[in-house]
Amino acid sequence: MLRQPLTRALALSSPARAAPLAVRRYAEIAPQPDKVEVFIDDKPVYVPPGTTVLQAAAQVGVEIPRFCYHERLAVAGNCRMCLVEVEKSPKPVAACAMPVMKGMRVKTNSDLTRKAREGVMEFLLVNHPLDCPICDQGGECDLQDQSMAFGSDKSRFTDIHFSGKRAVEDKDVGPLIKTIMTRCIHCTRCIRFASEVAGVDDLGTTGRGTDMQVGTYVEKMFLSELSGNIIDLCPVGALTSKPYSFAARPWETRRIDSVDVLDPLGSNIVVSTRTNEVLRILPRTNEEINEEWLSDKSRFACDGLKRQRLVTPLMADSRGNLTPVDWEDAVVAAARALRDCPPDKLLAVAGDMADAESLVALKDLLNRLGSENACTEQYFPLEGAGIDLRSTYLLNTGIANVEDADFVLLIGTNVRFEAPLLNTRIRKAFIHKDTDVALIGPKVDLTYDYVHVGESASIVKDLASGTSAHEVLRKLEQAKRPVVILGADQLKTQEGAALLAYTQELALRLQDKLEDKNWKVLNVLQRTASQVAALDIGYKPGVGALLSAGPQVVYLLGADSGVVTRESLPKDAVVIYQGHHGDAGAAIADVVLPGAAYTEKRATYVNAEGRAQQTLPAVTPPGQAREDWKIIRAISEVVGVRLPYDNLDEVRDRLSQISPALVTYGDVQNNNYFAQARALAQSLQKPVSGNLDVKLKTLEDYFMTDAISRASPTMAKCVQAVLKQKQSTY
Amino acid sequence: MAGALTRVIQGSKSHLGIVGPLVNINNGSVRYQQTKTKFGPLADSDRIFTNLYGRHDWRLKGALKRGDWYKTKEILLKGTDWIVNELKTSGLRGRGGAGFPTGMKWSFMNKPSDGRPKYLVVNADEGEPGTCKDREIMRHDPHKLIEGCLIAGRAMGAQAAYIYIRGEFYNEASNLQVAIAEAYQAGLIGRNACGSGYDFDVFVHRGAGAYICGEETALIESIEGKQGKPRLKPPFPADVGLFGCPTTVNNVETIAVSPTICRRGGSWFASFGRPRNSGTKLFNISGHVNTPCTVEEEMSIPLKELIERHAGGVTGGWDNLLAIIPGGSSTPLIPKDVCSTVMMDFDALVAAQTSLGTAAIIVMDRSTDIVKAIARLIMFYKHESCGQCTPCREGVSWMNKIIYRFVEGNASPKEIDMLWEISKQIEGHTICALGDGAAWPVQGLIRHFRPELERRMAQHAAAHGPSRAERLY
Amino acid sequence: MSLGKYLALDKLSNFFNIIKQNGGIRASLYKMYRQDELKDGVLVGEDKFGNKYYENPRYFYGSNRWVEYSDKYNMDYDGSQVPAEWFGWLHYKTDLPPHMDPSRPKYKWMIEFTENMSGTTGQYTPYSTTRPKVEPWIPKRKSNA
Repeated sequence: MLRQPLTRALALSSPARAAPLAVRRYAEIAPQPDKVEVFIDDKPVYVPPGTTVLQAAAQVGVEIPRFCYHERLAVAGNCRMCLVEVEKSPKPVAACAMPVMKGMRVKTNSDLTRKAREGVMEFLLVNHPLDCPICDQGGECDLQDQSMAFGSDKSRFTDIHFSGKRAVEDKDVGPLIKTIMTRCIHCTRCIRFASEVAGVDDLGTTGRGTDMQVGTYVEKMFLSELSGNIIDLCPVGALTSKPYSFAARPWETRRIDSVDVLDPLGSNIVVSTRTNEVLRILPRTNEEINEEWLSDKSRFACDGLKRQRLVTPLMADSRGNLTPVDWEDAVVAAARALRDCPPDKLLAVAGDMADAESLVALKDLLNRLGSENACTEQYFPLEGAGIDLRSTYLLNTGIANVEDADFVLLIGTNVRFEAPLLNTRIRKAFIHKDTDVALIGPKVDLTYDYVHVGESASIVKDLASGTSAHEVLRKLEQAKRPVVILGADQLKTQEGAALLAYTQELALRLQDKLEDKNWKVLNVLQRTASQVAALDIGYKPGVGALLSAGPQVVYLLGADSGVVTRESLPKDAVVIYQGHHGDAGAAIADVVLPGAAYTEKRATYVNAEGRAQQTLPAVTPPGQAREDWKIIRAISEVVGVRLPYDNLDEVRDRLSQISPALVTYGDVQNNNYFAQARALAQSLQKPVSGNLDVKLKTLEDYFMTDAISRASPTMAKCVQAVLKQKQSTY
Repeated sequence: MAGALTRVIQGSKSHLGIVGPLVNINNGSVRYQQTKTKFGPLADSDRIFTNLYGRHDWRLKGALKRGDWYKTKEILLKGTDWIVNELKTSGLRGRGGAGFPTGMKWSFMNKPSDGRPKYLVVNADEGEPGTCKDREIMRHDPHKLIEGCLIAGRAMGAQAAYIYIRGEFYNEASNLQVAIAEAYQAGLIGRNACGSGYDFDVFVHRGAGAYICGEETALIESIEGKQGKPRLKPPFPADVGLFGCPTTVNNVETIAVSPTICRRGGSWFASFGRPRNSGTKLFNISGHVNTPCTVEEEMSIPLKELIERHAGGVTGGWDNLLAIIPGGSSTPLIPKDVCSTVMMDFDALVAAQTSLGTAAIIVMDRSTDIVKAIARLIMFYKHESCGQCTPCREGVSWMNKIIYRFVEGNASPKEIDMLWEISKQIEGHTICALGDGAAWPVQGLIRHFRPELERRMAQHAAAHGPSRAERLY
Repeated sequence: MSLGKYLALDKLSNFFNIIKQNGGIRASLYKMYRQDELKDGVLVGEDKFGNKYYENPRYFYGSNRWVEYSDKYNMDYDGSQVPAEWFGWLHYKTDLPPHMDPSRPKYKWMIEFTENMSGTTGQYTPYSTTRPKVEPWIPKRKSNA
């Protein structure tokens, strides 16, 4: 976690931070009551009523120390570190919980305030072990920093020599979180996170007074897909990362801002590296996407980047065994195969984590060879508007806007595991805004209550036509900001096109009636990080027909989800695999070209809402692996159809020619043309009868879904632990 | 389910008005200029609790005979404003310890309704060591409490009363439940209570034996089924209380005296005691007295007179007195010379640097090991601290460690000042008043018995050499 | 000084003697080719690898003890093929060849002498005890296909 405790209040509540919230189009537009004038250290500040003293102080740059307060969690007010003197109040008040009152004069630096802080700090340290040298939090510990800034300069804890300090037994809460509960200062941030954000009431306190312990009541695993965030939240070293334990100190690491690609949301991350090795991944605050959370797979699967890697080009020898070869041999072999293949027998398949640069390079190469057969692993119906209109395959509402919705309809998706941080947005809306949620599809635990409408696809049809008798239809029609989210997995089936058409019909019918003309209802939740960019570039979704045509040369660009298998190919077909992990794709390949993973290259990814973001190289690709677009560029030269770009800027120029949206980093382009899509879809409204099913139903399904997480020992341990926990009676 | 509850609480946070903590107590005061100079003894005809000792029938029949439920309908029909006004006139201050004017507290509830129901919660979690007044009411005069609930409920427009009774009070809860059943059967409460057209329910909720659940917000949490941990204030229960609805929490005695106040008039009640300390009060006298007892007396009665008249005097005579804790274990003790002159009311005891609290007088004669006595109280608070906020959780257990060393004298005299400072670091820095209650006895001890502490340390040092604390600190 | 010596006839006889001792002209030419020298001397002993050790005091000190490597080494002979026990005799550390030296205990813990394998497939290569930062993917061997 980017923990800057001493500057945090400042940084997070400064106008710079308030800005993205303020420009949020759909932020609650309540009539703004008159602002109240309060004085922080005699500096006047105008804040809306209901603001807490702590927030008001942050606005004038006065930072009040805190442990339990966290701006994204409910106020607990139990650490008492934020006590400040308020004029005319006999006692110091807890700044984190006290709403401002007109004319309030707060003194954050008076003797009373300082004495109070010093007292609280002394009490916190009474039972806190001074094991900083062996504590993983050392160097990024709120308690360390604040005791330096606000604590006393000497100890008077004489009882250390009479009765010692409290010791608490450590808890086993699973393979991700290491607990050293003696260090706990009972701020209850983790408990509040678990029950408010993660929606899992596993954590709580037992015992009273000094015997109070934070834990899971009974010894069990903390069953959440967001559990890693409590490591960031913990202000001391009570909860630390198990895979990262005793690995590095924060001042030894280099931090590189990057983007996660293990789910379609493109959460912003910071990659901590040392000596060319990814040590851990932490979330980076982005209000539009992941706030400051990160899902466990994105956070802990990074050890998969060090296992099962392709480090050298491989080629099948005479007996069919892949053996290491030089780049030259591999590139020549690949180029020869491509050159000698008739264009219509050529097939390129892009996988889950392909970046936009390599996608465009591969497609250009194919086009120059006279082939149009570039496709992705994930299917999307081509009928109707197909992928010509961007709005049909995007999360149009926007991730951040989902929390302003007043009704969410989920169709055939388990958001909790397909996009955990989108689910936290829905949960946030559910809790704070009384948003109702309905689900069509198999019953899954979304961490909040929802109306289960059924599993049949025909329900969507009934809702679209307005003939459904279910209360959900009425609620949808009454909603001012409805959101319909369709899981992309449902589109694979025969009825996918019709289902998409009905969903479009339903969403756009609702959208037309809205007062807020900018609100978008239709959302398709893609499953992978590469899909949106691939569709933007013009890849054909799904390999279906192309594969059955019997291709002679198949170029797999990180395609590891097992869509292309040896059985599905003609016997003499040549498979070229380019990617970073030895997984399903490399196993069937004749030529393997080692590429770079997302932490090793500067590459563009477009997330589910159509936001282009770029990763930055944190480490160099291992061994002889190279950046992906460069490999394709090299092959093109050997084939004799040299691609017209020599550096990254030129590739990105090419990207911007295809779609400017691909290189406007950080922004979401406004997508429209809903009406046209709807019109095109109307012809497709065929009867549907099947049942919707989702792949990721429970937590153990979540951890290992792609080449990186399948290679990660931590993720494997998680699966084991969850399965073991399931057998437990608790 | 936490989700749903959070929803409730979150949903209501947005429309919180702030009831300031800086309420001027004078608002609820009496208009009568006090001219009385002598207080007590209370005449039998002026006693409110006429079955305090259980010599008569506690059930409905006996209660009716003693005048309970007499013209309750008429009182109810006089309306909210009249009842609140009568309470304000009476100058009744909360009998649970803090002494907040009851009339004003009730009037907070009469803000325009926002559709949420209102609740009355009666705090019968009488856990303060030394205090045993509410149990007498509940087991011998339960109908006074139930009638009080109805009247108080009417005054604040509450739909129901929850009586949170201490878990250990098995017989009291049993009697109370029987009395409630009788009242329901007699149509006194429930639908159309007393024929007034007003619906009112009374529920009894038994606690599980946590002292902290006597704190009003912890009590509310406990009724809601959560851990009894005090909530942050603001919002006060009058805005967001039980189940997220406006709630008033009152002590049993406060509620139980209100019907009589309404019947005999606020000015009658105000005629007892000094201004702003008016009324009668149940005093519990325990410890080193000849006849420990609970007695109803006029407020402002001199402490010495109270003990000598009702408790048969201190064992071994008044001169054998060492110190008195005047208001339950959480109030600072006062030494003998203060005891001789102090009057038992809110203001006089505050002037004596202590507090009326629950008026549970703990008398300690010269045979008492005063340090050990206070240490035992601190141990109680250490055990009962909920552990939610830092100063109380860490500070009280630290105080406990230190003061037990003080008992044997294994400490440095410098640590007396340190202990004082620690108690000051706890006091006023916590979410609820338990921290204060734990700090005060220590402060009282240091204030009045510092020489005793130093003597013990010198003695210990003479016998065992200087304490390790001496060398370290 | 005898006449023969004066006329260097002894050299001639030595020459013939050497050729004779080395097994005739053909064998002598082969030895010359293999060893770049041809000497006559007394066979002092033979080690278990088949190397033969000769001595001839007629030659100057320093070249009066030599080894003729076993034929099985062909041209791939080198100094490390001399076992430790003969090394001492060969380098004048001792005058007693190993089989005549009584003070050469043989303990159980002594391992067999091996020649220096550097540069061959049998050479010793040190390995790292730290875990590699990146574990490469090992492709599955296909069964006989």
